[in-house]
Amino acid sequence: MKRPIEIGLLYSKEGSYAPLAQACRRGALQAIEDINVDSEFDIELIPVERDPKCNIDLYEPLCTEILRETSARHIVGCVISWSRKEVIPGLERAGGTLWYTLPYEGFEASDHVVYTHACPNQHLLPLLSWAFPRFGRRCYLTGSNYIWGWEMNRAARAVITDNGGEVLGERYLPIGDTDIDRMIAEIKATRPSFVLNSLIGESSYAFLRAYAAMGQEDPYFTSKTCPVLSCNLTECEIDSIGSAAEGLISVGPYFVGWESWPLGTRHDFASSFEASSYSAVRTLATLLNGKPGAENETLADLLHHSNAAQTLIDPETHHTTLPVLIAQIQDGVFQVLQSWEGIPADPYMTHPDRHPQDVQPKLSVIK
Amino acid sequence: MRPPLHIPDLSAAHAVILHRPHTLVQAIIRQLTAIGLNVSASWPELGPEVLGADFVFFDVDMGYDEQFPWAACNAPMPLIALIGSEAPGRIEWAIAQGSDAQLLKPVGDSGVYSALLIARQSFEARQRLQAEISDLRTRLSERQTVVQAVTLLAASGKCDADAYGHLRQLAMSRRETIEQAAQRVVARLASERGSNVYRDNS
Repeated sequence: MKRPIEIGLLYSKEGSYAPLAQACRRGALQAIEDINVDSEFDIELIPVERDPKCNIDLYEPLCTEILRETSARHIVGCVISWSRKEVIPGLERAGGTLWYTLPYEGFEASDHVVYTHACPNQHLLPLLSWAFPRFGRRCYLTGSNYIWGWEMNRAARAVITDNGGEVLGERYLPIGDTDIDRMIAEIKATRPSFVLNSLIGESSYAFLRAYAAMGQEDPYFTSKTCPVLSCNLTECEIDSIGSAAEGLISVGPYFVGWESWPLGTRHDFASSFEASSYSAVRTLATLLNGKPGAENETLADLLHHSNAAQTLIDPETHHTTLPVLIAQIQDGVFQVLQSWEGIPADPYMTHPDRHPQDVQPKLSVIK
Repeated sequence: MRPPLHIPDLSAAHAVILHRPHTLVQAIIRQLTAIGLNVSASWPELGPEVLGADFVFFDVDMGYDEQFPWAACNAPMPLIALIGSEAPGRIEWAIAQGSDAQLLKPVGDSGVYSALLIARQSFEARQRLQAEISDLRTRLSERQTVVQAVTLLAASGKCDADAYGHLRQLAMSRRETIEQAAQRVVARLASERGSNVYRDNS
């Protein structure tokens, strides 16, 4: 007889970034289904869902509602960092835990959040170190006007200037805004060695379409000479972008076909968002498995049980040890160009030994 | 374009917490460890290793002057005040210690990282200002030497303005301050006093 345990899901079904939320939701539901039929687990997870509709002001009330009206102490959810930061005070009051399953900008380690996707030493740093020797160090930065865009570009600027590079321009758009003409014009004028794109949703799609159109007119603005780099683009958005996504280079812990993560036997995820949410639920199930009453314990206590050793969560930072894959969209499919395995997270950039470096093969010249 | 914010390198940094054993200490240790610092806590004495610490968090509610192995406002590292009671007397005492940032009790899930950054920033700004002030004080106290040097140089027949210009040239050619050049001129010419002849050997 399995112990029934309620688990909250806080993903938007409509709104600007709903496709990402739905990818995460599918991954979480798949994990719940797998755990519930798996005799290795003595628990049955019962999803309790709320839909914040991508409205920033609905996250905190709905998260609090789950914690107040149901027995769920663990919530898988939130897509953008802004919403995650909104729900943390409520989690702290109620002793709840959020499982956050998307890449983010780092510099956070809440006692009430588990981070199952990548932070900058697992996305931005390896991506830049890989791009510098291949394309150069003159960069143009784009971003959506909130914490992800601002912080990614601050970190990128620091890395670029520390490495003798140059930031030729930096421009932001409000979330959902598609007025990208000025960005495109500045890129055309400055001819950088690459563009780091931290726009999200429709802004990002509009930018990539306009950039692809510019590449038709001037072949310099194509992936061989001036690629667009991203730290958050996955398969789940390729359809929304269409052929303009071709050549884009992204970094993440999973691309279709990769099998080293998440733990477990399933590797057929549509993108790293499904994988990361699947991983979150499976990790939670691992922590609760065979421990009646554990569902009411704090996250800190759960991470100190022996079960925690079977997970990839660092009990100090609550972040996840992940593969780092750099991949390019070729004929509509991400092809992995470079990979590192088992990179622990370094959310505050204080552990240089956790920063994967690109080591290029040395060519010997035969005379 | 905004200049990049100076983020201090906190890798291998060491923080000391001066507070009696309490859940607050656990909360701060948790945050510091997640950020990547080494942490030790003690009460009521600070061990000698505190002199090697990069940050000190100290309790304002129960703290007293004798706990610190340095004079008030002279800590060799940034100080972060842990304030519970906001009584004016206690806040006054925290200010008198020279705290660079504060955390209000109870300490929960966050707050330590911004306290570290703000404390380091204001500590460094204070250090820079103190160095500048002490440099200016030294130069101010040498006013008399400068006047003396100009008078001695003018004695060889120059007007005051030319004598001062000469002194400035001496300073520039040796990359030193006017005051340092004046000290050398005074020392040399004073020893040559009597001959009343000044030869510029510089």
